[in-house]
Amino acid sequence: MMHCTMEDLGALRAGEASVWARRHITTCAQCQAELEALYQRVAQLKALPALRPPRDRWPAIHAALRVERSRRRRTWGTWTGSLALAATITAVLLVQPGQQGTLYAELSQAKQQSATLEDSLQQYDIDGRVLSGHAAAVVAELEDRISILDGTLAQQQQSVQDAELVKLWQERVGLMRELVNARATRARYVGL
Amino acid sequence: MTVAFAVPDVLVARAQAGDEAALEALFRAFETPVYNLVRRMLRRPEDAEDVLQETFLEVVRNIKQYRGEGHLWGWIRRIASTKALMRIRRDQVRETESLDDEPGKPGMHIGANLDLERAFEHLSDTSRAVVWLHDVEGYTHEEIAEQMGKSVSFSKSQLARAHARLRRMLDEGAHA
Repeated sequence: MMHCTMEDLGALRAGEASVWARRHITTCAQCQAELEALYQRVAQLKALPALRPPRDRWPAIHAALRVERSRRRRTWGTWTGSLALAATITAVLLVQPGQQGTLYAELSQAKQQSATLEDSLQQYDIDGRVLSGHAAAVVAELEDRISILDGTLAQQQQSVQDAELVKLWQERVGLMRELVNARATRARYVGL
Repeated sequence: MTVAFAVPDVLVARAQAGDEAALEALFRAFETPVYNLVRRMLRRPEDAEDVLQETFLEVVRNIKQYRGEGHLWGWIRRIASTKALMRIRRDQVRETESLDDEPGKPGMHIGANLDLERAFEHLSDTSRAVVWLHDVEGYTHEEIAEQMGKSVSFSKSQLARAHARLRRMLDEGAHA
């Protein structure tokens, strides 16, 4: 005697069974028992206890959120900082072209190094990559410090002395270098 | 596991405004159902933890796009199950479904005290995902097929094969 397959039983459960299966199940005790067992298994699966995460993942998510927010601020700060810097350099060159040559060269060098490091960062900076809580916290702190520095650059470039401007940009290069190292270390660690 | 609670609208609104305390409250409300869902779908606990984190990163990034249409749990569950299925696809090469489905292979005889939960753990990731999404979470075969990038008949046949195997393992356990 032909019996219902598991596909037939599933279709019976879903109310999509063939005419043959619907007729057969009314007369076959064996298939009725199989269908009842299927219902029981599904009920038992639904009743399984909830599995709870073994560790608290919020600190890592929170740290990653902070990184993203500071990155957005930093990107904005970099744009505004660059615009203000361009205006300052233009003013300096127009007013005192001879005396500012050395400072201008140092400033250009720091700015170029900073841009190169930004480019380097891109290869390690892939959105959505999961960082450990510690790594994310280190990165978040560095990005926050860069963000604060960018804010200073954006707001004060018109008033600070040229030597101070160079110093601020060199400080930015130092922080960027640390940030690239932190990202590169993480990338090596996970084999990327 | 059925998630029947609702999250206050005001909490969602605060989360959408970027309030970190509200975002954490959402995480606390849904971390267990999300982990349970993805842990049932994925073989390795560490993968489930990673998917839990990835899911909430996406929730945090996109909470502003949630328009309040349907239950918040449905929206979060969709993100979580999609990410779990992506991980299953990525790890497909590691799957041992062909071995798992053949009775009598080493590893098949898993003792007399086998219960349903342990038998379920012995299914392949794909089979577990289909069974859990269909039988427990209430997804239709059409929805599962769409999320997995497979056909409806694939989903149906995976479900039938998984139940046949569960039945076989439970019978073997009972008679060992």
